[in-house]
Amino acid sequence: MRVSCLQENLSKGLGVVGRAVAGKTTLPMINNVLLSIDQSRLKLSATNLEIAITCWIGAKVEEEGAIAIPARLLSEFVNSLPNERIDMNLSPRQRVLGLRCARFEARINGMDAEDFPPIPMIDEASIISLDPVGLRSAITQVVFAAATDDTRPVLTGVHFRLEGNQATLATADGFRLAIRKLSLATPVAEKMEVIIPARSLSELNRLLGDETEPVQLAISAAKNQVLFRLKNVVMVSQLIQGTFPNYNQLVPQSYQSRAVVTVSDFQRASRTASIFARDGSGIIRIQVTPGGELSPGRMAISARAEEYGDNTGEIDATVDGEGAKIAFNSTYLMDVLGVIDEEEVALETTSPSSPGVLRPVGSESYLHVVMPMFVQW
Amino acid sequence: MRPPIRVLPQEVASQIAAGEVVERPASVVKELVENALDAGATQVSVEVVEGGRRLIRVADDGCGIPEDEVELAFQRHATSKIADTFDLEAIGTLGFRGEALPSIAAVAQVTMVTRTQDAATGTYLRLAPASGGKVARERRACSSGTSVAVSDLFHHVPARLKFLRSPTTENGHIAHLVTQFVFAYPQVRFTLKVDGRTLIQSSGSGDLREAVAAAYQWEVAQSLLAIEKDPRQEDSRLPSGVVVSGLVSPPALSRGGRSYMSFFVNGRWVQSRMLSYALEEAYQGFLLSGKHPIAILLIGLPHREVDVNVHPTKAEVRFVHEREVFGAVNGAARRTLAILAPVPQMTRVAAPVPSGEGLPLALGSGEGVLVSPVISPPSSSLPVLRVLGQVANTYIIAEGPQGMYLIDQHTAHERVLYHKLRTQLAGRGVERQGLLEPLTVEVTSRQEELLQVHGELLFQYGFEVDHFGGRNYLVRSVPALLSVKGDTAQVLQRFLDELADEKEPGDWAQKVAISLACHTAVRAGDTLTLSEMRALVQDLEATDQPRTCPHGRPTMIYLSQSQLEREFGRR
Ligand SMILES: Nc1ncnc2c1ncn2[C@@H]1O[C@H](COP(=O)(O)OP(=O)(O)OP(=O)(O)O)[C@@H](O)[C@H]1O
Ligand SMILES: [Mg+2]
Repeated sequence: MRVSCLQENLSKGLGVVGRAVAGKTTLPMINNVLLSIDQSRLKLSATNLEIAITCWIGAKVEEEGAIAIPARLLSEFVNSLPNERIDMNLSPRQRVLGLRCARFEARINGMDAEDFPPIPMIDEASIISLDPVGLRSAITQVVFAAATDDTRPVLTGVHFRLEGNQATLATADGFRLAIRKLSLATPVAEKMEVIIPARSLSELNRLLGDETEPVQLAISAAKNQVLFRLKNVVMVSQLIQGTFPNYNQLVPQSYQSRAVVTVSDFQRASRTASIFARDGSGIIRIQVTPGGELSPGRMAISARAEEYGDNTGEIDATVDGEGAKIAFNSTYLMDVLGVIDEEEVALETTSPSSPGVLRPVGSESYLHVVMPMFVQW
Repeated sequence: MRPPIRVLPQEVASQIAAGEVVERPASVVKELVENALDAGATQVSVEVVEGGRRLIRVADDGCGIPEDEVELAFQRHATSKIADTFDLEAIGTLGFRGEALPSIAAVAQVTMVTRTQDAATGTYLRLAPASGGKVARERRACSSGTSVAVSDLFHHVPARLKFLRSPTTENGHIAHLVTQFVFAYPQVRFTLKVDGRTLIQSSGSGDLREAVAAAYQWEVAQSLLAIEKDPRQEDSRLPSGVVVSGLVSPPALSRGGRSYMSFFVNGRWVQSRMLSYALEEAYQGFLLSGKHPIAILLIGLPHREVDVNVHPTKAEVRFVHEREVFGAVNGAARRTLAILAPVPQMTRVAAPVPSGEGLPLALGSGEGVLVSPVISPPSSSLPVLRVLGQVANTYIIAEGPQGMYLIDQHTAHERVLYHKLRTQLAGRGVERQGLLEPLTVEVTSRQEELLQVHGELLFQYGFEVDHFGGRNYLVRSVPALLSVKGDTAQVLQRFLDELADEKEPGDWAQKVAISLACHTAVRAGDTLTLSEMRALVQDLEATDQPRTCPHGRPTMIYLSQSQLEREFGRR
């Protein structure tokens, strides 16, 4: 293999696939990154057996070849080089990769490319095109509500449903539920439902970065893998097998009280309260008071710490229905407020012990349900 | 044909292991059920009221007792099961002493109704210890089989009465016992009713897995592994002819107590350290320390190879070739695990901390100097600590004004959670987080008893649990401290098991808090971020006894500045 490329590109590419390199593992092979040549481009691949990332970078290819190189070592070395041309050289049937850049030279011992686990390939016959900006925001709005312990593996994933011209992403961890709808440019031929590990989608979100071209999605015929194709990157993830709970029945159909508040106000008041809530289990109490003839409606957000004291913040609210009292875990509240892009949000409640619903005002596409904490008022 | 009941000759009687037969209500149940099984019953129903103190009734559809032998059955050393010393060496029945009925009749009122298949009418006999024996006898129409009702147990034995535990505890023992019979005799239909409620109902289909499902959760029964046959079994080259069969748990399934390990020798439930050890040894490396497998092991061997005549209540047996039995049980479990669970999760069992003062800390090699850490009195508060990092995903290294601290993340977190739970309980109550969808938990009959008795306490600690139907319960809320992570159903179950294993009464509220803290704390091996470690140490500083966990284990080791200097030869 004889190939040259720019230090900057190789460094970036290694950064991209590096996310799929298994950290510590007993399988030494998957601590490696696979370097190979693909139609006059240099192809980098890495896998941790849950996700595989492949990245192509522009290069001048003089001789084909392939080798697996320890990922950490290679990327640390490349990152420390000046931004100039790097020449890579691998003699046939050898396992030592020579690198030369400016006045630096290195030889790195690699492993046989043949031994590298196969990077899954998906027949991309039925490709679905997604808007990268919408996909990014959708992932951001749901991933945080996926379960982190694997008591029920399906809950550690994002339920991804494609039907007609709509994609629906949903997560639930037993205490909260996030649902985001995304419209598709072209309708899908047949309805599809898969569960994608939340971790994989978080990785995808990082890769999406400032991507502007549509992202292509394909699901393997065996329904066990999903592929996302970006401009120069392909990510393949295993899917979680199982049935996702029917979450629609968990969304309350009505409310007794609906308070519309400014997201930034709500966020600030919650953040302030959470300082006092930190001591216990992070309880934030919310009290909604409807407006009268002359006074506007308001929402009081308070917390108290057994030993230290308490605090209350008040914000304006447009209240529909009755007053309300409800307590939430501060983390859950801050999590959802942090991902709402709209200016205002509505909090819909029925009783202190039934789930609260948060909906951005002016958008039908997002919905978040949180179970309250049961407290004495 | 069933041999008649005869009084054993003196020289035989004197060779029978003697001692107290009836220790508690469960012993009565055991003797009566064993008699029913010896009588060839296919259906056995057990009924208890008030923990067995008021009433224990065992009814069977077995062979019954002929009219002229009924009184004899209540005489000491009268049995139909053996006749001479020779028989004593190869006992094939559960009973053989002719002791059970007379012993029971000595401490309680007994009513027996019995009829053999071919008799036209049955016999009704009533005995009361207070009136010195028989109080009533008559002919009665009844179905064939035997029904024995025991009431006013220990009424006239105040010394015994005093040692009876609460009905719940006694019911727990009885349920546990009947569970064992269900496992040993899956072909018999058992019913256990406690105060009118059916706790156990087995199908009698003969399928062991089904029997397990009747007593434990269905899911547990499904995931147990069937014991792999010994390849040597086929050509009967087995030494001493031991055959082991049954079900054992896969490595991923375990319990916090040993009460889920059941051993049966020729259909007799036995307790044996040797057998427990043989089984647990096979799990070495598969289970974390403190975890025990679930097992139902049926050990069959020629009657001559086992001596059941060693313990007054027959709870223990002696094997003629003990090593071989050990090998057979150990091998059976190993084989099963090796074939069915090929990927062992290697978790080394930590060596126990040598008892003595504190934890010795060895520094340097060769000449390794032992430094006894200074563990200040538990009440003293902590200085402000600066977290430096984590060792082995288990210990947090921190620096204080006077030296270095190594903090055990699990015990430290236990202390923190315990402190928070107790503070919350003393204040406005434990904070509860509602579940979006109630969680269904299936419990065992033993766990159910505890749920009913300690329901209020569990509620105070944040578990809102409702009865759903059968042995299914709905969990609607959990302690908020727990909602961050963890398997709620598992925590709840482990926690009930731990309470079930509690022998002493004591302060339940405290026990619950300790157990909850222990089951929800971060574990050794969990990677923590720097900020998580900081938060943990800060929380630890805020507790009243930061230096020990609620079980009393140390949370930290302290190495003073001057000790460090000495070790490095600076002074
Ligand atoms: N349920 C029953 N059905 C038929 N026969 C019974 C039943 N219960 C007791 N018997 C008869 O009564 C006899 C005495 O019972 P008992 O339980 O006192 O002694 P055992 O079973 O022979 O020995 P052990 O003291 O070891 O239990 C038995 O040998 C049996 O013949
Ligand atoms: Mg008997």
